[in-house]
Amino acid sequence: MSSSIYLAVPVMLVLTVAQTAVLPRFPIVGLIPQLPFLVALSWGLLRGVNEGIVWAFIGGLCLDLFSVGPLGVTALAYMLAILAVIWIENAMPANRFFLPIIMAALATLIYLFIYLFLLQLLGHQISMQVVTGISSTVILHGALILPIFWLMYYLDQTFRPRPVKL
Amino acid sequence: MNLNEAQQRIRWAVFIILAGTAVLLTILDNTGNLDEVLTFLRDPLAVIVGWTSARTDSIADVLDGPRDLQTAREELAQLQARVDILERENEQLREVQGEYQLLLDLFNRARQQPAFSRLTASVIGRDTSPSLRSIIIDKGRDDGIVVGMPVESARGLVGQVFRTTNNSAQVVLITDNASSIPARLGSSRATGLLRGGGLGGATSIDWIDLKRQLDVGEVVLTSGLGGKFPQDIVIGRVIEVDRREAELFQRAIVQPAVAFDSLEIVFVITGFHPVDTEIFTAPPGG
Repeated sequence: MSSSIYLAVPVMLVLTVAQTAVLPRFPIVGLIPQLPFLVALSWGLLRGVNEGIVWAFIGGLCLDLFSVGPLGVTALAYMLAILAVIWIENAMPANRFFLPIIMAALATLIYLFIYLFLLQLLGHQISMQVVTGISSTVILHGALILPIFWLMYYLDQTFRPRPVKL
Repeated sequence: MNLNEAQQRIRWAVFIILAGTAVLLTILDNTGNLDEVLTFLRDPLAVIVGWTSARTDSIADVLDGPRDLQTAREELAQLQARVDILERENEQLREVQGEYQLLLDLFNRARQQPAFSRLTASVIGRDTSPSLRSIIIDKGRDDGIVVGMPVESARGLVGQVFRTTNNSAQVVLITDNASSIPARLGSSRATGLLRGGGLGGATSIDWIDLKRQLDVGEVVLTSGLGGKFPQDIVIGRVIEVDRREAELFQRAIVQPAVAFDSLEIVFVITGFHPVDTEIFTAPPGG
């Protein structure tokens, strides 16, 4: 797991810069996907829950640096969502096509509900429009997960230590 | 304890440690104990975000714009500036018209628009949260920006400085849920509290006296009440009036004058000093 953390920090920093400076200029049907979340989820689905929540934690903290929301809230929501879906994923048959889509949609739903709940708990007002807009984000993340998942799959294959034959 | 159980325990331990750290950071951030550390972390990142944002703008313009990019951009910028000035003039004229009615009835003196010093800043980033509305600008503490300073664009009020680092500042937009600004309507002179509707939500003025007759199209301005914002900055226009006779107050839906999604340059009003009204809210003898 340790080598994966060294990879997570630069990857999440780059994604955070993209999330705040690049993605808002190119919205997809008016929506901005949460790229660090999709990457952390993909990594978790590929490498297991431990690495998934570590990536989620780092990604969430990086994002919170550029948000008016309190530091740590995104990290907590990311971790809980990824922990929940990987736990569910273990009980489901392995599939590299449908499973990431279902997991991304489910994880997004859980993440957004937890995130909005935590914000509400900390005194931020949440409008009904944000809550009703959750479904659009869920669909968008479900559609975007496959290219990200496959990209992470090749990254995983590149970085995963290979067994040495003696 | 077999290997499976050990893995399970490690998994929960990792989660509990990370979750605990996140909660601790939230508490420390909320109590303001992380400000210095976060400034230290945000400063270099803000430089990278600013650089990336400038390159992204160029790429986006190339993708959006015509072949003769430079000429078209210059022409567009000139026209946009002209349109912004004319729209603002128009809104100010409507405001003057409303004031004229009042002046005829009450007193015969001209209002003076206070002249504030302004600092130009570029928008280098937007809030990463899916529900909060803020922007990051490329001017910070080193440029004299302090928390609470009002921010406007050529078309109207943008928001208020929420947090600063040495070289950047985060500005909460008037459309954010947390935003609450005393506002006044141009013609009817009604006052109320402008609240942001968040992402996708409608910005509205609440607590307007039911006796006031509001019109769709009325200009909305800052009232200056509370001392946190200067008076008479254009906010937007009333697009809908929510009036129910059974209630004590009415509500007006406002279309902000600023197009927040395409905001690139803003002005921070540096010459305005917010009035501290805490003394009036403190209990007597406290």
